[in-house]
Amino acid sequence: MTSTSMPAPTTGTQAASASEAPADEGLRAGPLVTPPPATATGQPMIAIDRVSKWYGEFRVLTDCSTSVARGEVVVVCGPSGSGKSTLIKCVNALEPFQEGQITVDGTRVKERGTNLPKLRARVGMVFQHFELFPHLSITDNLTIAQRKVLGRPGAEARKRGLDLLDRVGLSAHAQKYPGQLSGGQQQRVAIARALAMNPVVMLFDEPTSALDPEMVGEVLDVMVELARDGMTMMVVTHEMGFARKVADRVIFMDRGEIVEDATKDAFFGQPRSERAQQFLSKILAH
Amino acid sequence: MNYTWNWGIFLEPSPEGVGTYADMLLSGLGWTVATALSSWVIAFTLGSVIGVLRTLPSKAANAVGTAYVELFRNVPLLVQMFLWYFVLPEVLPVGLGTAVKQMPDAPFYTAVLCLGFFTASRVAEQVRAGIQSLPRGQRMAGTALGFTTAQTYRHVLLPNAYRIILPPLTSEFLNNLKNTSVALTIGLLELTARARSMQEFSFQVFEAFTAATILYVLINLVVILGATLLERFVAVPGGR
Repeated sequence: MTSTSMPAPTTGTQAASASEAPADEGLRAGPLVTPPPATATGQPMIAIDRVSKWYGEFRVLTDCSTSVARGEVVVVCGPSGSGKSTLIKCVNALEPFQEGQITVDGTRVKERGTNLPKLRARVGMVFQHFELFPHLSITDNLTIAQRKVLGRPGAEARKRGLDLLDRVGLSAHAQKYPGQLSGGQQQRVAIARALAMNPVVMLFDEPTSALDPEMVGEVLDVMVELARDGMTMMVVTHEMGFARKVADRVIFMDRGEIVEDATKDAFFGQPRSERAQQFLSKILAH
Repeated sequence: MNYTWNWGIFLEPSPEGVGTYADMLLSGLGWTVATALSSWVIAFTLGSVIGVLRTLPSKAANAVGTAYVELFRNVPLLVQMFLWYFVLPEVLPVGLGTAVKQMPDAPFYTAVLCLGFFTASRVAEQVRAGIQSLPRGQRMAGTALGFTTAQTYRHVLLPNAYRIILPPLTSEFLNNLKNTSVALTIGLLELTARARSMQEFSFQVFEAFTAATILYVLINLVVILGATLLERFVAVPGGR
């Protein structure tokens, strides 16, 4: 459990229901993000236990085990094809896996009787290519799942959506359509869309890889702020600057295996495996 | 060519005793439009369902969808028309078969069913193509937000797929409209059938089929105009 990145104001708003919008917009770390419970139980938010996955004969994940504590920010990195995106998609069962188990906030992902839509509604996910719904306005993108999945009344969903849009700095674009926004703006809307569901954890699948370089910063800024608000995050990314700034732990994957699972300082200080060292030297060289 | 033109023929009384030849053609046009619209309702709804079945992960759903499409698009429309009209009542239980045969406007209902089922197989393929042309991440995004499969289709995939396939769907609608003429073989008094009877009664073959041609073109132009307006109406700002 991290304590350094937990800002003081969150504790003051613990009691506030997460669906309540803040009265004061200056409350940067306000209840727009579901705060982690004050008494952190020993149970991790995500527990990945010996997960293996095959595409036919090809084994994409081999015996992956790790866990993400409440409020922790874990960065997953590794060369392309190493299985990091697949692993993160297993967490909310977008990808099925054959062996092992993943538990999210006490709910087993791979079990008969698990209501997967309900589980997924509590796990926010941000994709490489944003995946906003192109036929819906930004406002509708932010509210549709709140209304159809959570059953929130239209006005409440709208208020929450627009509050979050404001928080990512895009209130002026509420009436626009995704095709009218830049990549960076679309990704910020996508983050707001995921947050609107009051997720207990956020998954990011290479959120900046499809962006023009000058737009990477604006998206990372939102993510950094989110991490500082105490959101539990699992982030697949090559942005080592982001990892250095907010990650608690770094996982390095190669060929479907978790090769390293270390605290940030240990990872950047002296990665143990040769493969991780090579990887770091390549991506930090430029 | 020894042909006597008579463009005034349309205003002459038809041998039916009521109205002119023009009235006869217009009544044919009425049946054509009625058949086209009714069969389109079946074609569009059933075609959408079958098309969706073919994009589901379930193997059984896929098999059902594929079987439907291959059955209905690989048998000639004319043969299907005969099967529905002449064969189906015979294989039904006797009482039901007789009731079907004695139904008033039986050719109309048969033509609607036949065209609806036939065109559905073609609409299904377009719906499938439309859904499959969407980025894979769209389905994932819907799923990740907690939508059920049905909700993902309803709120994410289909609204985008329909927008993409609107132009070929317009062509399909036009095909369906023109295919109604095949129903003259089972006795539906639609536009082509009426032009033929006008030719037989009056011997003015050129006038009769010129008029039919013009009427078909006009009605299709109306459809195209409607489709263009619809496309403009559903167009999404900033691209698709």
